[in-house]
Amino acid sequence: MKKTAIVAALLCVLLVVPAVAQTYKVAYIPQSIGQPNTNAWLEGMMRVFRKYPNVKVQSFDAQLKAELQVSYMDDVINQKYDAIVLQAMDAAALSASVKAAEAKGIPVITVNLATIQKHTASVQMADISAGYAVGKEMGKQLGGKGNVVIIQSPPGAILGVNREKGFRQAMAELYPNIKIVGAQSAEGWKKEIAITIMNGFLQANKELAGVFAVNDNMAEGAMIAAEAAGRLDQIKIWGANGQKSTLALIEQGKIAGTAYNNSFAQGSLIAEMVMENLQKKLGPSKAAETKVIQIPPFAATKETVGQIAAEDRW
Amino acid sequence: MSHHAVRRLILVGLMLALSALITVINPVFLSSGNLLKLLQEAAQTGIVAVGFTFVMITAGIDMSIGGVVAVTSMVCINFLHYTKVPIPVLVFLSLFVGALTGLVNGFFITKYKLPEFIVTLATRSILAGLALVIAVKDSLGFVQNVYIQNDSYLWFGTSGLFGIYRTTVAFLILGVGAQIFLKHTRTGTNIYATGANPTAARLTGIDTDRTTIGVYMFSGICASLAAVFISSRMMTAMPELGLGSEMDVIASVVIGGTAFSGGVGDVWGTMLGSLFLALIKNGILKTGISPWIQPIAIGGIIVVTVIVDVWQKKLREHLEARAKLKRLSAERGRDAA
Repeated sequence: MKKTAIVAALLCVLLVVPAVAQTYKVAYIPQSIGQPNTNAWLEGMMRVFRKYPNVKVQSFDAQLKAELQVSYMDDVINQKYDAIVLQAMDAAALSASVKAAEAKGIPVITVNLATIQKHTASVQMADISAGYAVGKEMGKQLGGKGNVVIIQSPPGAILGVNREKGFRQAMAELYPNIKIVGAQSAEGWKKEIAITIMNGFLQANKELAGVFAVNDNMAEGAMIAAEAAGRLDQIKIWGANGQKSTLALIEQGKIAGTAYNNSFAQGSLIAEMVMENLQKKLGPSKAAETKVIQIPPFAATKETVGQIAAEDRW
Repeated sequence: MSHHAVRRLILVGLMLALSALITVINPVFLSSGNLLKLLQEAAQTGIVAVGFTFVMITAGIDMSIGGVVAVTSMVCINFLHYTKVPIPVLVFLSLFVGALTGLVNGFFITKYKLPEFIVTLATRSILAGLALVIAVKDSLGFVQNVYIQNDSYLWFGTSGLFGIYRTTVAFLILGVGAQIFLKHTRTGTNIYATGANPTAARLTGIDTDRTTIGVYMFSGICASLAAVFISSRMMTAMPELGLGSEMDVIASVVIGGTAFSGGVGDVWGTMLGSLFLALIKNGILKTGISPWIQPIAIGGIIVVTVIVDVWQKKLREHLEARAKLKRLSAERGRDAA
């Protein structure tokens, strides 16, 4: 009798548990794979998803093309993924896809850029604030005067545009004696393109005091060019994002600062929101507006970079 | 059966086999939603590829197609953002952009005998810059991607009867029309003749310069048409839209059997090639293989296709030479007798 009960209980477990442990498929569609930022978000998400063996994450490399992201969104909708984490290339281009996904019951959480179409949530680095923080700190370092240049994002990249807007706003409001004497965009946010642009700035401006590159890759490129020209000690170079290599260069005194964002934590927060949604079977949000969570930036300089713990460096 | 027919049969067979394999791995592949999207993806590349086919048959190449897509989409965005021009007029203006680009390409290629690759690459660069210049900007001068809300324009990117996307329908109509034009008109014959042997074509009275200009204009028009459908589907356009799509277009045409050497190929092959390419890309996503494999797969397919083409051509020439030799021997034997 006892044996029968045990066998019956075991059978119940074997039959019920698989039915309960549903497999979830989560799509991660950043602008491109392999960038420090997008890798850090993924690692942050995986730190949470690894606790759930029934969650499978598939990454899609959009190669910085909105039309590819649209294709991938169509595909994951057709394959009935359970959730989508999207770093949209463009707020308008991905709107129709986000709408279609949520209409099919797939919650969409965007990273850094919310689409025009409302969706479940958006977890963002406060880009304008980041640019403003850079401007504020750089201005202090320059003593409120001097010529500065900007290495911009690819045209139309809202992330970079917002950072630049914040930077220009800070300069205009706080440091009227600092002149922005040049701005040029680097295709694909690439370091090697930033080197070329910086070389041009160095040749055109004998008295250059500061450079704001709207991401760390490009800031490192500017640093390489300035160092090769023997003018690194005269120029305050700032980036944004806070990737590990840039933090190391700040500690060495080669880069003046960056607007740091804990991308691991950002990714983990997104994953927790996804899991809550999946486990409670909430589906797409029915709220009138997208829930936006903005992560304030941290201006990391040589004096403050030590506050960023090793496990938070990505 | 001609070798083109054999090649086409092999391609269709391969597509069916791949479709079966992908369906076994992921049954979602055969869902109506997925197939309709696959056809739409094929059509987006295929519309451009139809025009490119004409150019390749003349032994030319058009690297400006990506630039045409970019600048056409910016022209559309500007008109939609700043004016209330009727959509049919807007579409006509869009096609005019492509035709004008083709005219410029063809002019420099024929008048100054410049290499097609260089001319069209230069045009691409100019158009890419022009797209940035004319892109809609905000008050601070930053490029602003406009959200299209004009229903008449958005009509192009949506689906119609039985859920079939209008892009797909346009591709089919364009493909059928282009094939009929190529195979059943004098101009079509001239296009083949210009590609096969331009000197001989000129000697027979064909105006090869006019033919060349014509095919580049048609290629530009097709690229502009694709821009309308793509920007409509995305409900916006970026200055870099279409740049980098040249590989996919070339792959579609080459897989379909049109040779770089000119004089051979047709639109049916290109349409199959576009479908095959879309199937490969869609299949890679369905099977969970890394999307990074896609460009490797596409490059590999192009190489294999070209190798097979060269091998087939050599085999055909070898067999023809053997048959000729056999015939000559038989005739000599009869004469001796």
